[in-house]
Amino acid sequence: MEITFAVLLWGVRILFLVLVYLFLIRVFSSLQRALATENAIAARPTGLAHLVVQRTVRGAFRVGDRLPLRAVNGLGRDAGNDIVINDEAASARHALVEFADGEWWVEDAGSTNGTVVNGEVVRSRERLHFGDELAIGRVALRLEQ
Amino acid sequence: MRAQTAVPLGRGRFTELGLLVWVAAIAITGFVAVLATETSSFRPTAVVVPLVFLALMLSLHVFLVGIRFRGDQVLLPIAAGLTAIGLVLVQRLASDLLLQQLSWSIIAAGAFAATIVVPRDLTALARYKWTWALLGVLLLIAPLLPVIGREINGARIWIKVGPGSIEPWEAVKILLVIFFAAYLEEYREVLSHAQRRIGPFPVPPIPYLVPIVAMWGIAMLVMIFEKDIGATTLFFGIFLAMLFLATGEAFYAIIGLGLLIVGGFVAYQLFGHVQARVDTWLRPFDEDLRFSTGYQLVQGLYALANGGLIGVGLGNGMPDRIPIVWSDFVFDAFAEEAGLAGAIALLALYLVFLYRGMLIALRAPTMFLQLLAAGLSFIVALQTLVIVGGNLRLIPLTGITLPFVAYGGSSLVTNWMLVGILMRVSQVSERMRGGGGPS
Repeated sequence: MEITFAVLLWGVRILFLVLVYLFLIRVFSSLQRALATENAIAARPTGLAHLVVQRTVRGAFRVGDRLPLRAVNGLGRDAGNDIVINDEAASARHALVEFADGEWWVEDAGSTNGTVVNGEVVRSRERLHFGDELAIGRVALRLEQ
Repeated sequence: MRAQTAVPLGRGRFTELGLLVWVAAIAITGFVAVLATETSSFRPTAVVVPLVFLALMLSLHVFLVGIRFRGDQVLLPIAAGLTAIGLVLVQRLASDLLLQQLSWSIIAAGAFAATIVVPRDLTALARYKWTWALLGVLLLIAPLLPVIGREINGARIWIKVGPGSIEPWEAVKILLVIFFAAYLEEYREVLSHAQRRIGPFPVPPIPYLVPIVAMWGIAMLVMIFEKDIGATTLFFGIFLAMLFLATGEAFYAIIGLGLLIVGGFVAYQLFGHVQARVDTWLRPFDEDLRFSTGYQLVQGLYALANGGLIGVGLGNGMPDRIPIVWSDFVFDAFAEEAGLAGAIALLALYLVFLYRGMLIALRAPTMFLQLLAAGLSFIVALQTLVIVGGNLRLIPLTGITLPFVAYGGSSLVTNWMLVGILMRVSQVSERMRGGGGPS
């Protein structure tokens, strides 16, 4: 009788440790799943706005192309960008256009030739309104609904 | 019209609910093991306290589902799991305090719910940054005032409220993170793109350096007058980490650490209580310290050694040999009874908490929210590091609480509010990403 109680008690103690580890594993796997879902969300177009090509160079877009925007968009010459700009005047990672606080924003990502909005050079981060014209290298894009 | 952006998440909070089931299992087995050892029999009454706690956590879950909260689903179960382990340890180490701690966890749950609902717009907090700073500094110096201040165990960090006493530092840390985040968001440009440089070092305009020096001054003041080395480390550590996160200038961190080392060295030379802490840390087994100031630490080390790989079993150890074990040495007590295996799992839980917090920070839409989330997660991480390091004799021991686990009301309430704010930040990003906006 005494022995069975002791054995049972040890069972509970070991069970406690096992449960803590199982909990940890569950937490890790749900973090993993959350990461995958969030990446899927980030990759989805927001359906909120487009950049419409106004001016372009050979090998890049055609005038009038509508480029759908996501929540966060990298712009530049590098193929890893969300919007690839095939112009030698554009830097590999040129600018960032993102939707935050219900507004659109543009941020220069340290480009060589600068990012221009409505003829003015972007310093750090600026609001982007619908109808604004964003110039990167020789390509010009207008933000539209 | 934006129907195509329907959000796949947030219909239910099944991840959270699923994880809470595991928390339930941990809490019940923990209590059963401790109480069965104590009474030498299995009694059904052992599950009463864990069930009350679980009902509390479940009601928080239902509350979040009810208000259609769309934020993080992992932080609440982690915090609940840690709090449950904390309750098991209070039952084990100071069972007369169990009801108090359980009541505190109810208040903490209330504070958490309030944090989820009350600030309608989290970003608006940034507008009142100087209010938070002033409030923080006032609370920080409050224990020094003659009537309300209280000195317990050599540290003057409590204020008297009614019959009990609270540790204002706990609330201060959240206020300061809000202030730092707002301040750094506003002046990040000036601080990180300094025009003048001396060698490789950026030199920002002098006025912007004032807050940094002021922070250091206040930190030193706390160390000298409140005799609280732990709070000083935490306070200055958070500030340096956030400064580095905001500016990306390692220079500030190096200068700050230099200031801290200089301050620490001077304090060591001048003040007896700092000297005692360091001596105890370096040679706790020496004849003159072994049974006086070093006693607590030495007993803690014996407890660790006694634990071994899987521990001596919950309820089966001798952690009561460590003085004030329930507030300062819970980690050693847990490591004795749950062993290295349990201790590593506990640390892993904090690690996951930090990981989740940093992910929330990365995904936050504005600089303020990013810094806020990063700063808050960092508090939990640094606090764990400082107290566990102290318990393991890696660094001098300081009187910081092990977040969520150690006995203590102020700490539990503020840590749960901290979880609330982190979840709010995650909700803001979620809404933005969902694209549908608040409906």
